[in-house]
Amino acid sequence: MARPPRIWISNEAPAPGEVVRVRTQVVHVMESGFRLDAEGEPIPEDLLTGFTATLDDALLMEWLPETAISQNPYIEFTFAARQGGTLRMIWSDTKGVVAEAERAVKVG
Amino acid sequence: MTLSVSDPDRRRLLAGGASLAGIAALGLCPAPARAQSSLAMPQPDSAEADRLAAEFADGAEPLAEGLTLDLPALGDNPAAVPVRVHVTEPITEASWCEEIILIADLNPKPLACRFRFTAATGSADVAVRVRLIQSMPIRAYARMSDGRVLMARQDITVAAGGCGL
Repeated sequence: MARPPRIWISNEAPAPGEVVRVRTQVVHVMESGFRLDAEGEPIPEDLLTGFTATLDDALLMEWLPETAISQNPYIEFTFAARQGGTLRMIWSDTKGVVAEAERAVKVG
Repeated sequence: MTLSVSDPDRRRLLAGGASLAGIAALGLCPAPARAQSSLAMPQPDSAEADRLAAEFADGAEPLAEGLTLDLPALGDNPAAVPVRVHVTEPITEASWCEEIILIADLNPKPLACRFRFTAATGSADVAVRVRLIQSMPIRAYARMSDGRVLMARQDITVAAGGCGL
């Protein structure tokens, strides 16, 4: 992990049921596989393939990026804070986990 | 001696300077002369996008309601176009969004990404940045837990080149 992902959370201590917004960005080259290098050879594809956000054991959302996603992928999502816990986010590509991050969310 | 435009020495100096500047400009900008640097080709039509949409809907008739697609009408940076997709109808225990797909019709690979949610999410509102090879329609489909499929569509114009695909 070269650089930790940037994370913004609208409220880390939301009221029960409040919709919490999370914005994150991670460093990743997102090589499309279409580009050619100086010798005219295609540069191998290197894409972020998965992102998951969980709150304790509950899966909140899963994102499956493809070629069209920009370099240094940005993802923003929301969830309803029904209970507190650890918001855990994992970014992965074909070589394995790219980055992991955790934030405590306290409800009430 | 006073300098004037008609002074022959000054004329020569000016001309020399101009040609030097011209050479420097050529040397600094070799990019246009370089050969094609990407194999990316846009889709000729929306056929592949339609196929993806039909596969996602799995027989259900998409309803043009309850789902909103926010993106600029003009994407000034085609390498990072902000796109937000959100289900505007209430998300409840009985009716929540299972999956959203985002399709960029004419991109070399039209499927931009998928988002999957669970009953625990309690919301369906996501935003990403996509790269687009040219101006095209963008669409999003959402499958709800009760089997309905919602769709939204918007056209976007992007500046030529600089796609980064």
